[in-house]
Amino acid sequence: MAYQLPGWAALAPTLTFVAAALVLFLIDSIDPDSENRALLAGTATVGSLVAAGFAAWFLIAGTGEEPFTLYADSLVVDSMSLFFAFVFASVTAMVVVASYDYMRDHSYQGEYYALVMLAATGMTLMPAANSLAVVFISLELASLPSYALVAILKKNRGSVEAGLKYFLIGALSSSILAYGISLVYGVSGTLLLPEIASAVEIEGLTGVLGIGVLMILGGFAFKTASVPFHFWAPEAYEGAPAPISAFLSSASKAAGFAVAFRVFTVAFPVEAYVATIDWVLAVQILAVVTMTLGNFAAATQDTVKRMLAYSSVGHAGYALIALASLTGTGSDQFVLGGGMAHLLVYGFMNTGAFLFVALAEYWSVGRTFEDYNGLAKQAPFACAAMTLFMFNLAGLPVGAGFMSKYFLFAGAVGAGFWWLTAVGAINSALSLYYYSRVVKAMWIEEPTQEFAIESKPVGLYAAIAAAAVVTVLLLPGFGPVWAFAQDAAAALV
Amino acid sequence: MVPIEYYLLLSAAVFCIGVFGILTRKNALLFLMSVELLLNAANINLVAFSRFHGNLTGQTFSLFTLALAAAEVAIGIGIILVLYRNFADVDVTKATTMRW
Repeated sequence: MAYQLPGWAALAPTLTFVAAALVLFLIDSIDPDSENRALLAGTATVGSLVAAGFAAWFLIAGTGEEPFTLYADSLVVDSMSLFFAFVFASVTAMVVVASYDYMRDHSYQGEYYALVMLAATGMTLMPAANSLAVVFISLELASLPSYALVAILKKNRGSVEAGLKYFLIGALSSSILAYGISLVYGVSGTLLLPEIASAVEIEGLTGVLGIGVLMILGGFAFKTASVPFHFWAPEAYEGAPAPISAFLSSASKAAGFAVAFRVFTVAFPVEAYVATIDWVLAVQILAVVTMTLGNFAAATQDTVKRMLAYSSVGHAGYALIALASLTGTGSDQFVLGGGMAHLLVYGFMNTGAFLFVALAEYWSVGRTFEDYNGLAKQAPFACAAMTLFMFNLAGLPVGAGFMSKYFLFAGAVGAGFWWLTAVGAINSALSLYYYSRVVKAMWIEEPTQEFAIESKPVGLYAAIAAAAVVTVLLLPGFGPVWAFAQDAAAALV
Repeated sequence: MVPIEYYLLLSAAVFCIGVFGILTRKNALLFLMSVELLLNAANINLVAFSRFHGNLTGQTFSLFTLALAAAEVAIGIGIILVLYRNFADVDVTKATTMRW
C-alpha cells in the first residue's frame, strides 16, 4: 500500500458514532425546539450507515487480520471487533429509522438520537477493549445513555419504572464488575488482558482471583440479560419505547457477549484456569438456567412485548453456550464462531420482532396476544414479516435463524457438550409454542376489535422490511457470514 | 507500612455495608449512596494494590471510576426525579405498574 492510514483510522466505526452524536448536539444547541425530525433522524441514520459501511469495508479489505493495537495496547482492532461493530451499526440504523415514526410526538428529539449514538459508541468500543479499564469504561458508556433512553418517556409511568429498575440493577452490577476488576488487578498487577493471562500463571492467590473472575462474570451477565442479573430485562423491555427495547435486546446484548468472549478467552484462558477457578462450569450452569428460565417464563406471558423480552433472555442462554463449550482445544474456534454468527442473525431477527411491536404500538393495537387477533387482514405485509421473525427466532429453517442456531449447537456437540445442545434443543422446541401463538393470533383468529389503522408509517415499514430481507437473505448467504465469524473467533483463540 | 491484608479487609467491609444498604433500604437515594460505597470499595482496592505492585495503573483507573461514579449519580438523580414526579415518592418498591 502506497499510503498508510494512521492507526486510529481503524476505529472509524466508533469515531463515526462520536461524530454523529456531536453533530446532533450541535443541531440541538442551534435549534433546541427543532421540529425537523427528518434532519435529526437522518443524521443519526447516515451516521450509523456510514459506521456499518466502514466496518464492512474493513472486514472485506482484511484490515483486522493483523490486529491493530492502539493507545498503549488498551484497544485492539481485529476481525472480531469489526464483526461486532458491523452488528451494532446495522441494528442502530434500523432502530433510528424506526424511531422517526415511533417518537413522532416526543419533545426531545435531538437528545434522543444523540443518546442512541453515544450508546452505540460505547458498544462499538466494547469488543475492541483490550484492557479491563477500557472494558469498564466502554460498558458504562453503553449503559448510561441506555438508562436515560429507557426512561425517556418522562410522563409514562411504565417507562419511568422501567428506567428506574434498569438503572438500579445496572448500577449494582457495574459496581460488582468494578470490584471484580480490582481483585483481578490485585492478583495480576496489570489491567491489560494478555498480561493478566501470563501474570496469573505465576501468582498463587487463587481464592481472590476466583472471586474476581466470578464478579466480572456477574457484570457481563447484567449486560447480556443472563441469570442472575436478568431481572431488569422484562421490565426494561416492556416499559421502554419499543425501538429502544429492540436496541437493548439486540445490540446491547451482543455487546455484552462480545466483551465477555474477549475477556474470557484472552485474559482467563480455560487451560490456565482449570486448576484455579473453573469458570466454564459456572457459565454452563448459567447457560442452562438462563435458557430454561427465559423460555418457560416467555410461555406464560399475556403481552407480546413481555414474551419477546423473556425470549430474549432465553436467547442469551443459547449464546452463553458458546462460552460454556470452551475447552481450550481446537473446537473453540468453531463454537465461538457459532455464537458470533448467532448474535449477528439475532441482531436482525430480534430487532425486526421488536420493531413490529413498535408498529403495533404506533397503531395503538394493544399489548396482549388477543389484541393482535386478525391483524394480518389489515396489514398483511408487516404480519408476514413478523411471522418470519417468529419462526426464525424459534429456529425453523425459513431464514438464517436456523443456520446460526444449528452451527452453534453443532459446535457445542463438537466440543463434547452434547447435553448443553440437548437442553438448548428442548428449549427451542418449547419456544415454538409461544412464538406460534403470535402467528396464530395474527393470521387465524377472528378480529376482536376494530383496528384504527390510518397510515402506514414509512420509517417503521422500511426498518421492518430491511430486517426481514436480511434475515431471509442470510440463509443462502450464510457462507460469508460463517467465514467472517470464524475469522473473528480465530482472532481470540 | 500497613500490610495489604488490612486494606483488603477494609474494602471488603465497605463493600458488604454497601450490599447491606442495597438489600435493606427502600429509598432510591439511599440506594445511590450504597452504590457509591460499592464503587469506593473497589477504589480502595485499586489504590492499595497499585502501591503494592509499585505501578500506577490502579491509581489511574480509580480516577476513571470516580468520574464514572459521578456520571452514574447524575443519571440516577435524573431518573429518581422523574420517579418522584410520576409516583410522588422515591420508594423503589412503590413503582410496580408491571408485574414481575
